[in-house]
Amino acid sequence: MDGSVKVTGTPALELRSVRRVYGFGPAATTALDDVHLTVPSGRFVSLIGPSGCGKSTLLRLVAGLEQPDGGEVSVHGVTPAQACAAKLIGLVPQSPALLPWLSVLRNVTLPQKINRGAAGRRERIADFAERRTAPDMRELLVKAGLGDALHKLPAQLSGGMRQRAAIVRAFGLQPDVLVMDEPFSALDEFTRESLQDQLLDLWEELRTTVLFVTHSVSEAVRLSDTVVVMAPNPGRIVESIDVDLPRPRGERLFGERRFHEYEDLVRERLRRAWHSEAA
Amino acid sequence: MSGGVNDMTVADERTTAPAPAGTQPPTEPSRFSLKHPRSRIGWIRPAVWLPLVVMLGILAGLWQWGARQLPYLLPPLSEVGSSLSGNFGYYVHNALVTLGEATAGLGMGFVGAFVLAVLTSELPLVRRAVMPIAVVLNVTPLVAIAPALVVAFGFGAMPKLIITGLICFFPILINTATGLRSVPQQVLQVYRTMDASRVELLWHVRVPNALPYLFAALRIVFPLSIIGAVVAEMSASGSTGGLGTAISVASSMNQLPVVYASILVLAVMGVLLLLAVTVVERRVLHWHDSTN
Repeated sequence: MDGSVKVTGTPALELRSVRRVYGFGPAATTALDDVHLTVPSGRFVSLIGPSGCGKSTLLRLVAGLEQPDGGEVSVHGVTPAQACAAKLIGLVPQSPALLPWLSVLRNVTLPQKINRGAAGRRERIADFAERRTAPDMRELLVKAGLGDALHKLPAQLSGGMRQRAAIVRAFGLQPDVLVMDEPFSALDEFTRESLQDQLLDLWEELRTTVLFVTHSVSEAVRLSDTVVVMAPNPGRIVESIDVDLPRPRGERLFGERRFHEYEDLVRERLRRAWHSEAA
Repeated sequence: MSGGVNDMTVADERTTAPAPAGTQPPTEPSRFSLKHPRSRIGWIRPAVWLPLVVMLGILAGLWQWGARQLPYLLPPLSEVGSSLSGNFGYYVHNALVTLGEATAGLGMGFVGAFVLAVLTSELPLVRRAVMPIAVVLNVTPLVAIAPALVVAFGFGAMPKLIITGLICFFPILINTATGLRSVPQQVLQVYRTMDASRVELLWHVRVPNALPYLFAALRIVFPLSIIGAVVAEMSASGSTGGLGTAISVASSMNQLPVVYASILVLAVMGVLLLLAVTVVERRVLHWHDSTN
């Protein structure tokens, strides 16, 4: 199936007939088969689907952490490896993955000290001719509600605060593609909703392309411009649903009928994908 | 009694030590430990110090009783004490010789083991070539090669440094290599997407991550370094100095008070070294669970 949207210029992400197989011979499992996906720059795209549908695999392919066995992955027209070398990609993994010996502030500023050659490489990639100044990380942390925690160690923070620090670290790279792998799955519901708010606030401001893997239908609908529904055995894209709801999407959205209609639509597509596989 | 003091202090210190290689949990930031700050004030309360004092008293009494029953095996504590105070300069001099050998050997072992740990963690080829040999080296009783080294290198400092260095080498190598490689997968992924170089990853992530493991090794290795130096001195009878030499000379002349006074000095030295490691560890690893 095809998840493309008509765009001009180089898309932020492009996957063409991507295939990824784990293992060999009869034990091999096809994590992704014939996946096409095009994401225009600046869009918030969620991947949703049951376990084993290959959504995390897709994310790792985009982040250059794995290589496809077939097809092509490109980020702003270059390979994921080249994109990483130019620091075009920011990753927020499932756990905050902060360094326990560094304060919050030093955790989020460390990426600026790493791979200093990236700025030059970034300029050579056509879309990013302009030079950027590094963002003020203190300001970003304050904006994320971590103003009192600048000099605290990760172990002194709550789970939600740690995950916020991890998100700030990724935004601090000013990535052109932000890939997030179920970043809120380990948090309680209240924390999760307030973090969704803050993620949207930061995103409204910086407008990077986001690829967001999630298990939660309401999270996907609330955050995304496009929800990509995936199905397992073999992992594939079933449908992509554009969520045409106004932004900013605050709490009031939860009460609206249109929001729930989108939720129902995504649920229905997930169910259908599940049944078609069982049949 | 020297052994008693040493054992108890060491046991107390070890309760805060992270487990050696492999068994230590990776430095996962989300885990809070129950914090037991061992306050200095606590030592004022009799409940804290009285059991130790009573136990020391009992042991001293037993010693004195044993010394009266078996005068050829145990010297009375008073004679050990007077030997110590009467010949204080002699013990200090020999203690410094042994301490010098121990720390120099440890330093050599440390540098070698650390460099090799970095190489094995970065280059699988080196790991496969070196690790089996390191394991064989570890299970070889190194004290057994001391006489051979004395034959090869004479009565100077060299065989002592080699023995001490070799004894310290393996725990540091294995622990540091484990620490360098036990960075959580998701942390590595974050820095891989920034295309961090190997050196950057090593300096900013792997080496700090290995520090708790390294300190666990140092706690094992500091006392071991003294053992190494003493054993080397004892195998090279005719050495110029050191407490090991003092012990072997005195026991051949049946001067039991000197033997036990030297042992006591060795024990105190071991405790002081362990204390030094602990103090440095608390400074460096203030962020780590094990120091809380």
